[in-house]
Amino acid sequence: MPKNARFLVGLVAVAGVVTYLIVTGLTDTMQYYLTPSELVAKVDADPTVHDMGVKVGARIVPGSYVKTAAGVHTFTVEDPEKLTVTMPVEYEGDLPDTFNDQADMIVDAVLDGHYRNDGVFVATTVLTKCGSRYEASPEAIKQG
Amino acid sequence: MNVLGELALWIALPVALLGAILGFVAGHRQRGDLQLGAERSVYAVFGLTILASAGIISNFLYDRFEYTYTYSYSNRELATWYKIAGLWSGQRGSLLFWLLFLMLFASIAVWTNRRKNREFMPYVVGTLSTIASFFLVVLLFADVNPYLKLGFTPPNGAGLNPQLQSYWMTIHPPMLYMGFTSFTVPFAFAIAALLSGRLDSRWINITRRWILLSWFFLAIGIVLGMRWAYEELGWGGYWFWDPVENASMLPWLAATAFLHSIQIQESRGMLKVWNMALVLFTFTLTIFATFLTRSGLIESVHSFAQELKIAYIFLAFMSFIVGSGIVLIMWRLPKLKSENQIESFLSRESAFMFNNLILLGILFAVLWGTLFPLISEGVTGTKITVGPPFFNRVNIPIGLILLALTGIGPVIAWRRASKQNIKKNFTLPVGIGLGVMAALFAVGVRPFEEAEGVRVFSQSHAYALATFGIASFVMSVIVIEFFKGTRARARIENEPWPIAFLHLIERNRRRWGGYVVHAGIVVMFAGWAGSSFNVNIRQTLQVGESAVIPSPLGHDYKLTYEGMSTTAATAANANSNLAFQLVALLRVEKDGKVQDNLTTEKRGYIAQDQPTTEVGIDSSFLEDLYVILSDVPNMRGAVQNEPGAQTATFTFLVNPLVGWVWYGGLFIAIGGLIGLWPTLTGAGEPARTPTVAAARPRRPVPAGAAGD
Repeated sequence: MPKNARFLVGLVAVAGVVTYLIVTGLTDTMQYYLTPSELVAKVDADPTVHDMGVKVGARIVPGSYVKTAAGVHTFTVEDPEKLTVTMPVEYEGDLPDTFNDQADMIVDAVLDGHYRNDGVFVATTVLTKCGSRYEASPEAIKQG
Repeated sequence: MNVLGELALWIALPVALLGAILGFVAGHRQRGDLQLGAERSVYAVFGLTILASAGIISNFLYDRFEYTYTYSYSNRELATWYKIAGLWSGQRGSLLFWLLFLMLFASIAVWTNRRKNREFMPYVVGTLSTIASFFLVVLLFADVNPYLKLGFTPPNGAGLNPQLQSYWMTIHPPMLYMGFTSFTVPFAFAIAALLSGRLDSRWINITRRWILLSWFFLAIGIVLGMRWAYEELGWGGYWFWDPVENASMLPWLAATAFLHSIQIQESRGMLKVWNMALVLFTFTLTIFATFLTRSGLIESVHSFAQELKIAYIFLAFMSFIVGSGIVLIMWRLPKLKSENQIESFLSRESAFMFNNLILLGILFAVLWGTLFPLISEGVTGTKITVGPPFFNRVNIPIGLILLALTGIGPVIAWRRASKQNIKKNFTLPVGIGLGVMAALFAVGVRPFEEAEGVRVFSQSHAYALATFGIASFVMSVIVIEFFKGTRARARIENEPWPIAFLHLIERNRRRWGGYVVHAGIVVMFAGWAGSSFNVNIRQTLQVGESAVIPSPLGHDYKLTYEGMSTTAATAANANSNLAFQLVALLRVEKDGKVQDNLTTEKRGYIAQDQPTTEVGIDSSFLEDLYVILSDVPNMRGAVQNEPGAQTATFTFLVNPLVGWVWYGGLFIAIGGLIGLWPTLTGAGEPARTPTVAAARPRRPVPAGAAGD
């Protein structure tokens, strides 16, 4: 179909450009998304992960939030599944309105940043999942 | 009411199942009596869903906190309007709300077609009832029944997240849901076309307005969501490429592609398989959007908690839809042959196909980026995510090609464009586009940034410059089209220009409405491009101190922190949810000229521990000044009005052209309404205008109003 040849070349070219953009975009921007325990395991296996930007999904430990005199937000996050693993976090910036460390709330946070050599996670962004979207269990309501 | 509502939900499932069976059997055996029963079951399920929804609303209005759902999303102090909106505040209710809209649209579709299109209707009813049954099964058996009881009655509810207590948030989800659910109607007709074997453009003609309606609601819903994020979330942006945001965008992209590709089928008899596949794909994406929001499988700041049971049910249903859709299309493949072929690379068909390809390219990139954490975890065992940098990197260049096609598609000739056609239609607009780029470059919009005297190439600025150029090109094409059409009509009908302009639109509302939508997209792109010049400055101020913020447009803002007022909970606001309110007042001067003051607040709500932030926005045509009260270090002191406790940290943003995103949204809404508006009765129109496009002959159709 010589009539269609140019059209087909065009189609293939567009498909190629889209694929190229997706592939290079992925390799240049992808980040590990880990829980604290996975991050610790990964750093043990490969110390260069310390210098990498990673995302961490974790639960905020109730009552752990302290703001230092210098205005740095510090709090501890824990692994939602392996409850023994905790990780201190430092963050300079504005915490989202839904950030909360109250005892009766389960707040999950997504942190962007890197895991410093001294075992502190230095966050550059903190996002929280809105606590009220979680429906508390009847037991929790009774206790509250 | 509540007992009746719950009962209605249980009765609705067997009725819907019966409707599905009756519909398909009636279609297969051609039994009119069964068909009548099937149609009545659709109305019945709609009625039962209304009862069930009314029951939920009454649970909210009468503060029945013994229900888990009411407890979780309301409290006694909540304003009545938000109690009514409680129906769609949370997972449980919003699924019922979804079903309510589905049945509303199903009933309208069945009612308006009950005496027409007899060969389709049994299958349409069967398909609609099947989908309704699915949502009823989810509601009743997937632990999301909104009538679930706690087993005791708490004295008060947990309250609604203050960020959801916003005007935008109460209308944004209904718009999206209407968009998602109304697409079920075109899907049902497509399935009916496949099953009945009537595979010409009939099903498209019937559902064209439904497709546009769905597209329209989705567009409005997405823009409202952006607007809500901009005003309420307080970070100065409106789109974050969050999975749930993406989920609403995916069906919109597919519906946009579909709206274009059906035009090729209607005028050239091509792309029949493609259109079938696209309607199936778009519908699956509307279900996928619900699935993504509800299953919690993908980490998102918006999603509801993770529910594996619901995830599996949705996955099974989506597989069923896709699987049976593919089987039906394969079965009917011989009847879906194209009547024509692409004749030239330079033709409208070709431009439309590239439009489709690029829209699907963007869709695929967004889908891939959204699902990547899941895919990478499945393949490598480690979750890997991509964020806004990925989406921007991929979608900006593709989006710019799409924008350019928006200018090319409408005026390039069908079948084969001649050199004259191209020269005549594109010389002036391309000239204008290049001229705008040159002018902007001259006034300082350059593809590099200067940091401490060093010039660095800035990709985002380069993209912005390209966007302004292409946008001007497309806008010129659209304006010239309107101009030519109006002039031609004014001459032929001897009408004054404004009347000729209105009549022009009225005669082919689909086409001119489409151009208005295109204009809206162009304006929106310009608004997005403006964001690459955003200014963001964070500063801590004592009362009386000022911050100077430079605008990219060349002037300076001087903001002086005048003071902070505090309202503790008093008798006056005892009936509201507000616990306290801190309002910082800032005096604004623009190059020394005093502007309106701005305020930004921290608010505390009863039953919510963390205060929320209200931003102050001074909007103008070219830029927004956006002020966030980021932090009040001594908040307790400030609430008690202690001296010296008013020190506050502000974030000052200047967002150039951000208003254009909303103006663009307005254009899109107007254009969509022009296309959707029912034909005015007695306006002196012969027959019904929407058939103009359907009657468009197979002969070569000249491009543009003036022709070739």
